[in-house]
Amino acid sequence: MPVSMGNGRPMKNKIKVFRAMHDMTQEDLARAIGVTRQTILAIEKGKYVPSLDLAFRISRHFQVNIEEVFVYDETVLTVTAD
Amino acid sequence: MKKNSFYLICGCIALALLVIFWYSVEVHIRFLAEISFIVAIGGIYLLRKKVTDFVEDERTARITEKAALRTFQVFWVIFCAFSIGAVMQILYVPTFPREHLEIHAPELLGPRMMGYFQLALLCLMIFLYVGFRIYYARKYGEWETDEE
Repeated sequence: MPVSMGNGRPMKNKIKVFRAMHDMTQEDLARAIGVTRQTILAIEKGKYVPSLDLAFRISRHFQVNIEEVFVYDETVLTVTAD
Repeated sequence: MKKNSFYLICGCIALALLVIFWYSVEVHIRFLAEISFIVAIGGIYLLRKKVTDFVEDERTARITEKAALRTFQVFWVIFCAFSIGAVMQILYVPTFPREHLEIHAPELLGPRMMGYFQLALLCLMIFLYVGFRIYYARKYGEWETDEE
């Protein structure tokens, strides 16, 4: 059974991985894209699903496509709906 | 302007408002308290725009939005319920059953009772708003901690 990012949400992300690859702290990333550190933390933990605008800003910051950072897992959605 | 200076000024404005409120009670000029309240809120709004180290993003905006919406939903239900009661009083609606019923003249709410009701409603809304804010802040990971 697929595991969702908390709360049964189908949105997963790899921000933590990309941060590690770029050797960035949550504070660094937050400052770079103009949000609070708590927002980055909440997104990483799956507590908050960012808007499209913020999702694009995060992926553009890491110079990758949005799908590489954010994954919409439809199987989780199916399991949750059942 | 720094965030702390802003909070300090807000505190001073609140104190000034309290003084003006009691002064207007003393001299029986209610417009003084009302106008000063409007001016104070306008002043705080303008000051807030000048604060440079406030980081407000979409998550914090969403927390505020959700808390405000929920508070408003509770507010209109309570306010409408109270208003229906007040309208029924105006319309002489008798209680059930109608037999052996003495119909009294409507006891309309006096200004004093209206004031108490508004005060109670205001306090309830403040408590509800704070409660909803805490709830949604928690839901959207405001106090989450991390290994960093």
